[in-house]
Amino acid sequence: MFGYVRPRRDLLEQSAFESYHAAYCGLCRALGKQYGFRARFLVNYDMTFLYLLRSSAAPACGVEPCRCPAKLCGRKPCALDTEGYAPVCACTVILGYEKIRDNLRDEGFFKGLPYRLLRLLYRRAYRKAVALLPDFAALCAGQLSALHDLEAASSPSIDAVSDAFARIVAGCVDDVSDPGLRRPMEQILYHTGRFLYLADALDDLKDDCRKDAYNPLRYRFSVEEGSLSREDLDYLSQLTDSSVNLAGAALELLPIMAYRSILENIVYYGFPAVFYAVKTGRFQAKESLWKKRNDQSDHTGETI
Amino acid sequence: MKDPYEVLGVSRTASDNEIKTAYRELVKKYHPDNYANNPLADLASEKMKEVNEAYDAITRSRGSNGSPYQGGGSQSNQYNYGYSYGYGSANTGSSYAQVRAYINANQLDAAESLLNTAPNRDGEWYYLKGTIAYRRGWLDEARQHYQTACAMVPSNYEYQNALRTVQGGYTPYRQTNYQRSDMDDACNICQALMCLNCLCGGGGCR
Repeated sequence: MFGYVRPRRDLLEQSAFESYHAAYCGLCRALGKQYGFRARFLVNYDMTFLYLLRSSAAPACGVEPCRCPAKLCGRKPCALDTEGYAPVCACTVILGYEKIRDNLRDEGFFKGLPYRLLRLLYRRAYRKAVALLPDFAALCAGQLSALHDLEAASSPSIDAVSDAFARIVAGCVDDVSDPGLRRPMEQILYHTGRFLYLADALDDLKDDCRKDAYNPLRYRFSVEEGSLSREDLDYLSQLTDSSVNLAGAALELLPIMAYRSILENIVYYGFPAVFYAVKTGRFQAKESLWKKRNDQSDHTGETI
Repeated sequence: MKDPYEVLGVSRTASDNEIKTAYRELVKKYHPDNYANNPLADLASEKMKEVNEAYDAITRSRGSNGSPYQGGGSQSNQYNYGYSYGYGSANTGSSYAQVRAYINANQLDAAESLLNTAPNRDGEWYYLKGTIAYRRGWLDEARQHYQTACAMVPSNYEYQNALRTVQGGYTPYRQTNYQRSDMDDACNICQALMCLNCLCGGGGCR
């Protein structure tokens, strides 16, 4: 469920895009420094958004060129913010490890073997992250267990299932002490989590229908041939629009000193564009933001 | 107290007009309508108070009386009042008033427990149930309750407004500028052009 929280590159100024890139590379570097090389593979756009949100109330940190394992020649600019990245790295490792455990639970013995290996590889990093954020790890375990119970009961409530996931995402800022910052951040992340769950459910709908697997949309709406009707799709779009509105209203209350244009781009442009791409079957989670595109004038969201 | 110029986001050398414009923008941003039923309404109210105080402080220090919303410098009261509208007024039952008070204080479990003991399920009951769900972020459930409330009392503006908000139709301050990536508008234009084409004789328009 990673990769849905991303900016619309065509609507982001070059300097803001470079800051975003530096924050992403900085997260990758911090993961490597704090949890070992293999933790670098857990870096993703969603956790970059978490870092940008958490660090928005302070002036932007410095950037310096760093070595990148994916780029053998030359260096990449990385944001240097060891203190700011620490809780984000811990959340990234905990969520990544839970994702591995989740996949392992869903697969049979033979298909689950690669996940067993991954679980073993990331166990040490996970324990270190849990030592830093024990409450968040407990929250994750509790909410994922609640989510599994709801899925096992084939819950038709898209609110209940997305709530279980959204609470995990909102829990990423539980350690922020100032309520004037924490409450808006929690609301943004809660609705980000809701958005992620619903977008992922819609993206997986065809596959889940084919495999006869649980998908809340199958029980909430009438699904024909793996697709929702036009009316139901509009209804779902309106629900995600409301989430974007609530996240946007919360964003306006944050005393943002850094990364404003990126955060606004992600919430106001990125979310609707990603949902549109998912709705029309054009979303590709693995498509990189870093590739240079020839068509920079595409404003339809098809580039997402 | 914070530097009033910093609160309004203007420099000390800004003209009166620039200050007035910045003030109006912030008033628009933190307006109660943007935070109706929002769990963060109290934070928005605080921001609005801060903005009003900063504007008052600047106009006082400059010796001007240019407050655009005041009748004697009382615009703060005017806007702060807006955050409590709808709640605590026009209630028929005292238990509903208590439920609204709990909702205002973000005590949603207490509000729901009390609401569930109400003997009748009228429009107000469904509206309050929807508001509790909305504040929790349960937007699907909120929408269904608001729809029932509107169907039971179609003339109630408060219920209609709440339903519009949860339908995603109401956009907060910043979003007035954002472009939807949806192609519905383009489809509507195409549809309009096709109709026009038919009216002009199916492509034979000369």
